[in-house]
Amino acid sequence: MAPRSGPIGDCRELVSGNRMVARGAMAAGCRFFSGYPITPSSEIYQTMMEELPRPEHAGLALAAPDEISALACCVGASMAGHKAMTATSGPGWCLMIETLQYALMTETPVVIAVVQRLGPSTGGATQGAQGDVLLTQFCTSGGYTIPVFAPSNARECFELTRSAFAWSERLRTPVVLLSDKEVGMTLESVDTAALERRPVPERAAFSGTGRYVPYACDGMEEPPPFAPVGGNAKVVATGSAHDREGKLRKNSPEVIELLVHLQTKIAAHAEEMALVEMDLQEGADTLVVSYGTTARAAREAVNRRRAAEQRVSFLKLMTLFPVASAAITHAAEGCRRVVVAEENLTGLYASAMQPLVGNRELLRVNGIGNQISPARIVEALERAQ
Amino acid sequence: MTAPFLVKDAPLPYCKGCGHGLVLRAIGEALESLRLPPAEVAMVTDIGCVGLADALFASPHTVHTTHGRSTAFATGMALAESVLGAGRLKPIVMIGDGGAMIGINHLVNAALLNADVTVVVHNNFLFGMTGGQNSAFSPEEFITATTPAGNAVPPLDLARVLLASRATFVARKITSDRDLAGVIARAIAHPGFAVVEVLELCTGFATKWNPLTGAQLKQVAADAGYELGVMREESRPMFGEAYRTRSRESGASGSAETAAAERDRTARYTAEMRTAQRLVLAGTAGERVQTAATLLAQAAMLCGLEVTQKNDYPVTQGTGFSVSEVILSPEDILFTGIEEPDAVLVVSGDGAKELEKSGVLARVTKATLVLADTGVPLPELPCTIQRFPFRGAAGPRSAALAGVAQWLDLTAALPKDALWAALEARFPGEAENTKAGLEKMLGTA
Repeated sequence: MAPRSGPIGDCRELVSGNRMVARGAMAAGCRFFSGYPITPSSEIYQTMMEELPRPEHAGLALAAPDEISALACCVGASMAGHKAMTATSGPGWCLMIETLQYALMTETPVVIAVVQRLGPSTGGATQGAQGDVLLTQFCTSGGYTIPVFAPSNARECFELTRSAFAWSERLRTPVVLLSDKEVGMTLESVDTAALERRPVPERAAFSGTGRYVPYACDGMEEPPPFAPVGGNAKVVATGSAHDREGKLRKNSPEVIELLVHLQTKIAAHAEEMALVEMDLQEGADTLVVSYGTTARAAREAVNRRRAAEQRVSFLKLMTLFPVASAAITHAAEGCRRVVVAEENLTGLYASAMQPLVGNRELLRVNGIGNQISPARIVEALERAQ
Repeated sequence: MTAPFLVKDAPLPYCKGCGHGLVLRAIGEALESLRLPPAEVAMVTDIGCVGLADALFASPHTVHTTHGRSTAFATGMALAESVLGAGRLKPIVMIGDGGAMIGINHLVNAALLNADVTVVVHNNFLFGMTGGQNSAFSPEEFITATTPAGNAVPPLDLARVLLASRATFVARKITSDRDLAGVIARAIAHPGFAVVEVLELCTGFATKWNPLTGAQLKQVAADAGYELGVMREESRPMFGEAYRTRSRESGASGSAETAAAERDRTARYTAEMRTAQRLVLAGTAGERVQTAATLLAQAAMLCGLEVTQKNDYPVTQGTGFSVSEVILSPEDILFTGIEEPDAVLVVSGDGAKELEKSGVLARVTKATLVLADTGVPLPELPCTIQRFPFRGAAGPRSAALAGVAQWLDLTAALPKDALWAALEARFPGEAENTKAGLEKMLGTA
């Protein structure tokens, strides 16, 4: 490879993934942020506190007294019609879960950036991890899918935060941007001029004519039109199981239909939401799958094995949920073995993927307390050969 | 003409004699008397019997929330509306005593912020909907489902907690007070946080198990040492106003995110780097180790290279070691960790100890370039350790940068001018001096 010199972009910066999450949010049109300090996500909070009030964003960033307040304030602001986000890590995420369920039930868009690390608040604050991947998913009562996007570098932090906002607004549902300490806190050179900066579209609004029926959807695959609390149309919002009018009801067919709708609207757009990077090799008998920070080590391992003449396919997942089934199935075609590399003890995402693997061998490369190195994945690939 | 706030003649979903109906009627009366446009009012209800009130409101917005969190949702709504919207929305929280305790954080916070939220606490001394369990508001000796032998714990004085939380309007009333609706109206009209705690009867449980009647509520208050009436009504800027003033001021100072100075628009130097260089810098916290790493990274970017920088430090931040890992590469960087370092720069004992503990030294190979301060003890390594008087020549706060300059001098991985340019951009005042000192060190090394 020839040495690189001269301009390679018009505006490169040395910037952290956390900061790029904040910038991605502002570029998406986020106007409200409420945060609570926790390593390794604090820089998102701090950046929003510094930047959001500035005239070019004209937003509101708020210091919350706890994580429950942080998310609840965001939900309140979103109900009033403003794009909203909070950021936390595993210990704070645990506290937010009921409020997340409330956002889901009330069909309120909100984005939560979860920057993973080890342990409870006394745990390994500055140690990276990918251990909350299923906690972001299986935290609802009822088995609903929370869309989860996972960046593996600073540029993707920006882009996937925009995606998180876009889908949150589009489907009126909470969306998680699942980062990790390594992605969030590592500084990287990024060509920031090349980033997409158009605000994401606003949620579909009530036309204003006729009576507003808050939970009346045009088909179960789309969210109901939105009217803000404080606007002219009377809003009835409720976290209870409800009918189209927002009235608390139990077990009526209409209520059950709306409970199912909360999942239908996600499932119907699963393929559109699936963001992956696929590099398939003809004749490969092994597929390596990874996400977040570990995807970088996995990619490097794949490069090394290919240099050693092993045929290996590679799949990086940027959408973790809904599971990118079609992409995974396609990538695994013809392979005898699927290797999933992720930084948790038991292979959390591998278990979510298992049904798609069929009778192929599923090999997990796992770790805790340390980044998984390319060498460890290479070793697994060599052994499997 | 506006529609009436309450649904006319709606059957109440409450037990006969329950205080909730009386408070609801008082809230309705208060709203009618204030003649607020219903579209500018949001009834934010909590969980419990009190949360059944939504369906009883005809014209304002209703938002039925989770247990104890109603005030936090209302705070978000009110603040967003005051800063980002037209500032006309008044959220009114209806919460029970159980919710007020589990969500006391939210009440305290809303009071401190002076958010434009009115909270009506329906205090019937217990959890009603779940079967009459005691709450933090149960009077002493109160019989509840969970205190069959009488409550042994004195009740919380919420009004005083909120007075201490700088609430600007605080009142405590009894359902039978003739001016209940009037005081609630004053609370709603109050600009900023207002709380009205209303003492009431739970006829489902409290009056069954305790010799309690409406006439005795005053005595319950007296026994608990509760003050009754409007305890505070004063004015203080609401958070939204204070926020707007401050953001106008900070806006004038310009955005750090968009400051051109932070940006590197063109690669101005050329580096003959063919494969990635992976460096570990180790020293003592507070001695600009990470700054030196950043300057190296920025110098590499000035040569058009890709970089990553990972910093590590103890939880205490300001003491002990400070370690930075920097990768410079002509290609996109994948793994951000360092399996085998190309160079290790150690400028203090703290740094050396950490490298040994974290296993970095164990990954040093024959090909690794190890540059260490003369005084730093290091174990035997598979490569030669090159010693330089970084601390002595450059001082502790420039020792790491001295290490970087020395590495560039030895390897010519990047032109030193790129490092000086990065230094000049970061420390315009002191760059010349620092550079002169470092060049002198390199000249004598």
